[in-house]
Amino acid sequence: MSARTRLSRLAAVATGLVLLATTAACSSSSAPSGGSGDGSPVSGGEVTYLVDQTQLTLDPGVSPATVTGLVGRTIFDSLVVQSGPTEFKPWLATRWEISADGREYTFDLKPGVTFTDGTPFDANAVKATFEHIVNPASKSQYAASLIAPFESATVVNDSIVKITLTQPFRPFLQALSTPYLGIQSPKALALPASDYRPIGTGPFSFVSWEQQKDITLTRNPAYTSAPSNASHTGPAYLQTLRFNYVPEDATRYGALTSGQVQGTASVPPNRVGSLQSNDRFRVLKTELPGVNYNLFLNVKNGPTSDPLVRRAVQSAIDIPALVRTVYAGQYAAARSSLSPTTPDYDAAAESALPAYDPEKAKALLSQAGWTDTDADGYRTRDGRELTLTWPFLALINRDQRDVLGQAIQAEAKKVGIRIDRPNLDAGTYGNAVLKGDYNILDSSNARADADILRFSFASDQTFPQGGANVAQSSSPELDGWLHEAARTTDAAVAARDYALAQADVLRNGYLLPGYVMTSFVGTSSALRGVAFDVQGIAQFYGAWLAT
Amino acid sequence: MTTRWWLRRAGLGVLVVWGAATLSFLGLHLLKGDPARIIAGGGGAVSGQSQQILDQINAQYGFRQPLVVQYGRFLGELVTGDLGMSYQLNQRVTSVISDQLWSTVVLALGAAVLGFVLSLVLAVATAGRPRARSLSSTVELVLVSTPGFFVGILLLTVFSFRLGWFPVFGDDGIGSLVLPWLTLALPIAGTLSLVMREGLERALEQPFALTVRARGASATRLRLRHAVRHALLPVLTLSGWMLGALLGGVVVVETVFARAGIGQVAVTAVNGRDLPVVTGVVLVATIAFVVINTGLDALYRVVDPRLGSVAQ
Repeated sequence: MSARTRLSRLAAVATGLVLLATTAACSSSSAPSGGSGDGSPVSGGEVTYLVDQTQLTLDPGVSPATVTGLVGRTIFDSLVVQSGPTEFKPWLATRWEISADGREYTFDLKPGVTFTDGTPFDANAVKATFEHIVNPASKSQYAASLIAPFESATVVNDSIVKITLTQPFRPFLQALSTPYLGIQSPKALALPASDYRPIGTGPFSFVSWEQQKDITLTRNPAYTSAPSNASHTGPAYLQTLRFNYVPEDATRYGALTSGQVQGTASVPPNRVGSLQSNDRFRVLKTELPGVNYNLFLNVKNGPTSDPLVRRAVQSAIDIPALVRTVYAGQYAAARSSLSPTTPDYDAAAESALPAYDPEKAKALLSQAGWTDTDADGYRTRDGRELTLTWPFLALINRDQRDVLGQAIQAEAKKVGIRIDRPNLDAGTYGNAVLKGDYNILDSSNARADADILRFSFASDQTFPQGGANVAQSSSPELDGWLHEAARTTDAAVAARDYALAQADVLRNGYLLPGYVMTSFVGTSSALRGVAFDVQGIAQFYGAWLAT
Repeated sequence: MTTRWWLRRAGLGVLVVWGAATLSFLGLHLLKGDPARIIAGGGGAVSGQSQQILDQINAQYGFRQPLVVQYGRFLGELVTGDLGMSYQLNQRVTSVISDQLWSTVVLALGAAVLGFVLSLVLAVATAGRPRARSLSSTVELVLVSTPGFFVGILLLTVFSFRLGWFPVFGDDGIGSLVLPWLTLALPIAGTLSLVMREGLERALEQPFALTVRARGASATRLRLRHAVRHALLPVLTLSGWMLGALLGGVVVVETVFARAGIGQVAVTAVNGRDLPVVTGVVLVATIAFVVINTGLDALYRVVDPRLGSVAQ
């Protein structure tokens, strides 16, 4: 652990040095551009793609990791594909019907598809996948929560499966379209968890996995089940696809720029510029849908239980300026709870967020009774200093969030708010979150459906209840919108409810929006056809290597 | 080195292993927080979990039982050599460790040998030679005070990113081991050569040095054949420290060079409160420590026969 801390502290220094060295290397050896046209795809070749995250299991029905979604997307097909923000098209299901009460989904399945282990894809496979995910013994950390209202799956015949829900659940199709609910081979699922192998019907099949090191996949030559919105049909182009786990930012960046690998996830924001300016490389960028990286203000504890103080925090901090500085202009400052790429994002709701106005913040604090100022310049009320506690867990720190946090502390100090950031271990941090023992808590939550708002703000979704409502908001009106939007089958009703909710959470000061989670993928210029899907996951089905 | 000596050392070893296992058990159990939640969160991620899953985990691992009962079960399993299943990896701890051990042993052993050879060369070449000595000790001081992380990134930048002589990562052959070895060995070489040179210089001042030269031995022969032996004792004493430096170092090196190994396993296991794996790693480290220390104590008597008779 101490090595870790030391490591991150030194990272800044080393990063600067390496940046100097590597930019020099790039500019001295930049090759002439090999024509700008993409040409037509070539089959074959081997690609190594670096990821910054590891996983405890490859089972997308169990693991919550982003990297499991990335790898799983190449191995597993889903029943439906999310082809637009609120639009779903056939994939392994050729068509589907939703009962009038919104509780029964009947899927017609694509015929003639087989898993890469030879098992035929049919209604039984769909049933087995669902039952595997909801089985408590599987200890699903994410997929099960996506389909919380799941009741049962019934095999009508080989090619028709019926899913019954305990209550209507509009986000169901979106959940089905994620890789976490990719359909798995029932034969593979029958093995004990210790022998788990990811077997799907997807464009790549699993070869090997070395924990903490790499995952090797090979092309599925018999692939016939591309999603209906794909740019081509039939097998993928790449013969071999390898995902290597490289935790160090500088190591990943150096491996790409020295031509040792063809692609890397998570290019650090301060390197994006230098990579973009070099025509031997490309940078793909996407803003991830879901809840931004936000600071949630606890309405149930201490000074932040006062709406005036929460409004003061929102007015006191110039988030756009801080985000621009810390992230070299590469991340967009968030202006709402959701990222702009989330379905049902309502830009009009942004106006409910107060503009940066430190004078107004001071006035709000005075109005809230924090009228005096102590020797350190912090506001006091009845002799008590205005201190907000914001626990810090180094383990989950990423994207220089600690640096952004320091800048926020400094801004808050200017208007007289002290923000404490105790550095806690995982257990103490977990306890603090469980007990609501904090004023500010930061988090982000990717999901290509506005239902993530319910997970983040509904009163029945607090942390002890398994949700992410760390602001501990409990407003019947807000609950009403969020639950109605989850149950309705009318897209227009959902859109209206979500618009109201987006404005409401800002107006009530449940959060201070931070930055929009953004994914930068760096590739060599020879690696073509990598694209992000609606969910922000890099796709390798259409990828190919130019020679 | 009688049988009694060996028996006593073995008994002490068992005691140390038991103590280490107990400490790691207590350490992980006395930490705050609900272990079921941390296990469910998978490596420190903090997220809410459904009660059903938490119950499942609590039942499976018996976290609701009194600590004494859990400790008893833990010791029972330990005695049979069964470290149980990892909480998170769906594998037996013995196979998790045996899968990763080799890569770490190669890394650590190679670095230890390299560090030792480097320091020997440096010390023999510079002892008692003022100009070389001051240059060398400056370099050594820099190496000792530079964190391994930084050394690793620097070596990577120069020899992999720019010159392309070695791959950034991978476990294939010697090529991929050179930079990790160097990263781990340089700080060790820095310290060892400082100590070794001190010892050499002290030995060279002894009357026997003059006697050896008077018998017609060359300066090099005096250093290598006679003085080094004296300089080695304090180096042996430092070996315990060296093992610690290596164990700490592999965590950093495995991160920077993206190598799989015990260091990575340990970090993940500690973060995820994976008690069986943590215990396994602690035991491996302890056993290595006990074996090496016992071996060294035996070696002392070989290097310096005077110690044997005193100890008897």
